[in-house]
This record gives sequence, C-alpha cells and structure tokens, in this order.
Amino acid sequence: MKTYIGADALALLKEKFHSVEYNTEEAKPAVYVPADELLQLLSFLRDEMGFTRMENVTSVDYKTYFEMVYHLFAWKTLDTCQDVPDENVWITVKVKLDHEHPVIPSVTSVFSSAEFEEREVFDLMGIDFTGHPDLRRILLWEGFSGHPLRKDYKQAAPPFVERITRRGH
Amino acid sequence: MENLTVGAAAEWIRSVILLILGNELLTDVVMKFVGLGACIGVILTAAIVLTYAERKVCAFMQVRLGPNRVGGRFGLLQPIADMLKLMSKEDIIPDGCDRIVWALSPMLLFVPSALIYGLFPFDEGVVFADVNVGVFLLLAISSQSVLPFLMGGYASNSKYAFIGGMRTVAQMLSYEAPMVFSLLGVVMITGSMRMTDIVAAQAENVWFVLLQPIAFIIFIISATAETNRTPFDLVEDESEIVAGPFAEYSGMRWALFFLAEYANLLSISILTTTFFLGGWHGPFLPGVFWFWMKVLFMVFVFMWFRWTFPRTRIDQMLSFSWKVLLPLALVNMMFTGIGVYVWRSMM
Amino acid sequence: MAGTETYTLNMGPQHPSTHGVLRVQLELDGENILSAKPIMGYLHRGIEKLLESRTYVQGVPYTDRLDYVSSMNNNFGFCRAVEELAGIEVPERAEYIRVIVAELNRIASHLVFIGSLAIDLGASTGMLYTFRDREEILDLFNLVCGARMTFHYIRVGGVNRDVQPEFIEKTYKFLEHVPVFMEEYKKILLGNEIFMSRLKGISKMSKETALSHNMTGPNIRATGIPYDIRKVDGYSVYPRFDFNVVTGKNGDNWDRFNVRYNEIFESAKIVRQALDGLPEGPFMAKVPKVLRPPKGEVFSRTEGTRGELGFYIVSDGSTKPYRVHIRRPSFVNMQGLNDMCRGYLIGDSVAAFSAIDPLMGEVDC
Repeated sequence: MKTYIGADALALLKEKFHSVEYNTEEAKPAVYVPADELLQLLSFLRDEMGFTRMENVTSVDYKTYFEMVYHLFAWKTLDTCQDVPDENVWITVKVKLDHEHPVIPSVTSVFSSAEFEEREVFDLMGIDFTGHPDLRRILLWEGFSGHPLRKDYKQAAPPFVERITRRGH
Repeated sequence: MENLTVGAAAEWIRSVILLILGNELLTDVVMKFVGLGACIGVILTAAIVLTYAERKVCAFMQVRLGPNRVGGRFGLLQPIADMLKLMSKEDIIPDGCDRIVWALSPMLLFVPSALIYGLFPFDEGVVFADVNVGVFLLLAISSQSVLPFLMGGYASNSKYAFIGGMRTVAQMLSYEAPMVFSLLGVVMITGSMRMTDIVAAQAENVWFVLLQPIAFIIFIISATAETNRTPFDLVEDESEIVAGPFAEYSGMRWALFFLAEYANLLSISILTTTFFLGGWHGPFLPGVFWFWMKVLFMVFVFMWFRWTFPRTRIDQMLSFSWKVLLPLALVNMMFTGIGVYVWRSMM
Repeated sequence: MAGTETYTLNMGPQHPSTHGVLRVQLELDGENILSAKPIMGYLHRGIEKLLESRTYVQGVPYTDRLDYVSSMNNNFGFCRAVEELAGIEVPERAEYIRVIVAELNRIASHLVFIGSLAIDLGASTGMLYTFRDREEILDLFNLVCGARMTFHYIRVGGVNRDVQPEFIEKTYKFLEHVPVFMEEYKKILLGNEIFMSRLKGISKMSKETALSHNMTGPNIRATGIPYDIRKVDGYSVYPRFDFNVVTGKNGDNWDRFNVRYNEIFESAKIVRQALDGLPEGPFMAKVPKVLRPPKGEVFSRTEGTRGELGFYIVSDGSTKPYRVHIRRPSFVNMQGLNDMCRGYLIGDSVAAFSAIDPLMGEVDC
C-alpha cells in the first residue's frame, strides 16, 4: 500500500538538513529545500533512506515563483526482488524558484532517469538545469519561442495565410 | 489430345507462316520472334495472374477476403486496376540522383529475369533455346540481377536505398554458391547440362526430388533468397529500410521492379519443377498441364513461405548461407559423386 | 586501406515501423548501430495545457487521446487522481467494472503489441491474427459504452453506465476464447525458429540499467524485477484478486515479448474473478454537478499497459485544475532506447522500438 513518509522520518530529515521546511499541519507535507541543497538532499534520500525511484519530475508555475516537484518512491525489495512489499513509502520534494531567472541544478547526477523529464520541463516551462548532459527542447521544435506551460504564455497569432482559390488569386 | 499441346500449336503457326512467306529460312527467323513473344507473354500473364494469386493467397492466410470489389465478388479485375494505377502515377525523380544509372536500373533488372525464360523447357520440344550448357548459362544470366539492385540503390541518393543495394550484393553473392552446388548434384546424375536432358533423365528414372532431397531443400532456400522473398527479403524489407533500392521509384519504374519480382518468382518455380519435379512429365494429361500444375504448386509454396515466416536478420542470413547451406551442399555433392560412381560401375 | 566513416540515418518520422511519428537518429557504422537518439514531439498537442482550461470532468476525454490503444487505463488513472483530490468514494460495483474494462483493454493493447512486433519482424500474418481477436474486445467495449476507440467510459466517481447482462455473458465467452487464440499465436510466432532467433539475446538490458532509466511496465518486468503498480500500490480492488506478476530473466526482447504474452493470461484471470465477484449496487458515486476539489495537490499512479501512469494534479479550489502533469510511461521508457539499440544491427533496432512499445500519442502528449 502506498503510504506517505512518516513524521519522525521528516523530523530526522529536518535535523540533517536545517534549511529543509515543511508544513507540519498537512497530512502529506511536501519537503521544501533550497536549490543549492537539492542534490545533497536527494543523495541522502536515495542512499540513506532508500528512496531509489525518482518517479516523477515536474514543475508548476505559481505566477510569482516556480516550483520544481519531485516525487520519490521507496520500494524496499526493489534490489532483492524477493517478494512484493507491504510498505511503499513516498515523499514529495519541492524547490521554489525565482520567476525571472529559474535555474536549478540538474538531478541527473543523482537520478539519471530524470533526463527526459528535465528536458520536458526545460522545454515547456523554461526552467534552466545546470549540469544536464543534453539540455535541448524535447517536444517542441528548436526554433520555438516561449514556454507554453507558463501561465503568462500567450499563443502567437497564427500566421496569416492568403487564401488560394482555384484561379490562383 | 495431341492438338492440345503447345508443340502442335507452334507447328500450326509455322505452317501458316510458311504458307504466307514461302521461304524456310525466313519462316525460322519469324518463328524465333514468335517464340520470343510467347516468352514475354508468359511473363506478363504471370505477373497479372500472380499478383492476383498473391493477394488472394495472402488474404486467405491472413483471415481476410482479399480483393473483392473490382470485377465481381472475387475481384478478378484487380490486377488490371493495379496496372492502371501504376501507369497513371506520377514519375517522381529524386533530387540529386544519378539520372542515367537510376533510370537504367529497373530496365536492366527486367532483362535477366526475362532472358532466362528462353532456356526453360515448357513441354516436349517447346523450348526457345535448348543449349547444351543450359544450366551454366542460366546461372550466369540470373546472377546478373545483382547489378541493377546495386545501381538503383547507389543512384537513388538515399541512405535506405543504399543500404538495400549493399545488402543485395551480400545476399545474392552468398546464396549463389549453395544454389550452384545444389544443382551440380542434378547435373552429375544426368551427365548433361542441357535442360531437356535433365527432364528426360527424370522421366526415365525417378524425379530428382527423391534422389536429391537435400539438394532440393538447399535449392528452395537459396532460390527464395535469390528472389528476395520472405524470409530473406532483406533487400526490400519494408519495416527496416522501407523498400531498399525501390524506395525512390514510383509509377512504371516501380512496376518494372514488381514485374521482375514476379518473373523471378515464376522462374524459380519453373526451375524447381524442371530440376527436381520432373518437368512436363506426368501420366494421362498432356505435358503442358503437368508442367503448369507443378509450377503453380511451387508458386503457392513460395507464397506460403512469404506469408507465414518472419524475416531473418542480415548477419543470421549470411552466416546461414556460408556456415550451413554451403557445407551441406558440398557434402551432398560428394555423396552424389560416390553414388554415381558406384551406380555406373555396377551397371 | 581505405578509412571508414560512420553515417547518420534518420529513421522516421515517416517510417513504417516507428509506431506513429517517432524519429530516431541512428549513428551507423555499416549496419551496426553506434547510438540511437529518439527525437519526439511530432504529435505534441499540449494536453497538459489543454487540461488547465477544462473542468475536471471535461478533462477525462482528453486522457483517451494519450495512449489511444488503452484508453480505459488512462481514464482510470485520471479519474482516480481526481477522486483522490476531491475525496470521492467510488462504489464497489464501479470499481469492479473499472477493473474489468481496464484489464480487457490491457489484453487488447498487448495484442496490438504482439501484432506490431510481428509485422516489424516481417510476419504480417501474425498481426492480422491479433487484430482479428482484438476486434472481439472492441465489440465488448462497443456494447458497454458505444465506442470502440476513445471510450470515455470511466468517469469521475464511477463509470458512465452499468454493464448489461449481455456484456457479462459475452465477456465470459471471450475469456473462453483467450487460450484458443493464444495457442494459435504460439504456433505462428512463438514456435517459429526465425522469430526466436530475431528476439533472443537482442537488446539485452540488465536490472541496473533498467532501473537507472526508470523503466516501468513490461520493460522492467522483463529484466526480472517484479515491479507492478497493481501489486506494489494495490490500488482499487486489485488486492482482492489472485494474479501473478509475470517477470522475465534476461531482459532481452524475447522476455519482453513473453512477459506481455503471459500477462494476457493474468489479465484474463483478473477479469474472470472480477466478473464472478461483481457486486450489486450503484455504479456511480454522488458527484456534485460542479466539481470543486479543495485546494491541494495529488500524485496518483496506476499501472497502465505500458508502465506506470501517473497523474499529478494541482487544484486551486476552482472548477478547473491549476496544473496537470502526466507521467507517461512510454515517454520515460524511451530513455532506454539508446541502450537497447547500441551495438546491435539495423534489423534489431526495429525490434527494439517495438519491444519498448511506445505509443506516440503518449510520448508526445
């Protein structure tokens, strides 16, 4: 069964990383971390707490700031492949980013599986990833301007095409 | 019964021409052209019949109905419709292609495919050129079909076509060898390279498929590869290199490739019939019926292969030829030699 | 001796065996593949952006267009996410019906996989056979919701309409038929020597590589890791059913094929159990006419046919979602393509595209 990370584990995390913040009143509090400590936190989660799967990487535009969202899962028997486990813990890690110049270190050095998803975020949301091996647009074409998933994105008017009749004018 | 045979028909045409021209030599020359026309006629008819047959056979194997709109509920006019469609298509010439080589390729491909029909004995006495090195000439001509593929692949200015052209060379050269060695067994038993002799030898004794079962299987496999049909259709290979050397051809040029393919399909069936299934020989019915019954059966077998087997990979296919078929053919040849020697000394 | 050069071959977007509009840039040395770079986006429609301007209920049909071969599973995933967000309790009968149609759709999707792999290897007859049998499932769906392709049957709170007795009867009949046609495929495909030699030992992937690419679905199960969200998360009513997670051993294309082949039997098993235990009751929960989930966010994942299908929905308390992100399994699985192609031949690359089983509607979203 899918369960969210427990309060004591979160407290442990807070003890280890002082800059980590979370709302204790929420049932499933997301862990906020500053961009420069993201990689350390993720390595810690992966190596010490068993969150071996970076299931989802995405971002949200909150108009005044961006939020990078990472969903990590710990499936304890993933390495041994023994039996199907009873517990299946997950955690949400979030990073708030400046709306003017959103830059964040790429997590590909810790979770190489995030490569395409980060490219997608770069493409559609316009967040820059430092240290990404191959940061190019992935869904839109190279000459495309703008980032459609941003809330302030305005679709450019379609180019005016003169109607061609059969006579040629 | 006698009047039904092709030989009788040829005799009748000859007498008519002789009546008109009144000159023996001129008549012989004209008769050669008549024979030529008959060969081309066989190929064109075969292309029409076989496209329809292939569609129907394929459809029934794939639990479909096949053509059923053009020309009644059996779609009998479908080949005509196909032909008209191909003829009315735009002739697209790819940008940057080597025009002359590109245009020559489909025509050149058709030449060897058509040429070998001159060597086939269709019935008793019905053979355009009964040369004494028939088998040799046949293999020499049919191996020429490598070149047009390479030309088409090279001249199309397309990578897919180029890969296809390269594959053709590798494939045809590799399968030429086991095919030749498998035929040598037949030639050794007969003691002659003349096609009519080979058929006659089978009429006297047994069909060579019984004497040379291994050679028969090797021949069938390498003939399938030579004609680029599944499971060895790596040259066209629509799922990998789209259509190989044909990728850039359209309209009538493509139709020529198509025609050559069906001419080849028919010719390997005729070859199998001639070398292993006793040619035109059979009881009760006239030779021409037996001949075409056997040929059409072989055509069906090749179609059956095509619609049931997946395609092999290029490396598997080449190593299969050099590591399995060729040694097997050589061993078969050795045993045939011993057998023939023992048989002769016993006689 | 002349020097040799490598060259680039663009496979796709117009290519018969790239499953739509995938383009793969192959770096080739003769026939050997040095690297394969997938280039996608030719079918990008901006579904995530579109969903932001639709209400939650209006958003469901858009998920049909993601993985259009298994639309039921997409509807299922999206509706589960919305229900979790809005706190809607789904009636039991609806859950059972959802599982039945989702598993039937999984069978249909795997049949398409078998067929497309067959045709990519040149055995076009195999494809026709699988499509013939997929037709039966589509007819069942036609009975249940009137559509054959984009169903929009699973709704927020339940399902669109109740199943008819005729549907149940015909589904039982179909389940009887499953072993019959599977035996037929065994004869025409699995038992074929050429088919075996084309797949065995090709595009091998170790457990570690599969994990590092975050592959999910049959692709990771082929390497031997029993990662199936139906078991791992045990969502919906799946824990009540007895079924196995099919795994492979070597992680080659043969295992990928076999995993999917055997999953058809497992899905059929689930469908039979669900039909046997189908409870009476309402098929739709009481969902407010105007759905306004409370402010918050949810990440809900289900086992789609191609792997883990996740929906991340952020709600700002209005009738429309603030942000929807879809974790598409095909998209993430594409990361493994390079490892599956490198060092093999052009012919194997086609088998690798097929074995990954991407659906471009889902990859490009």
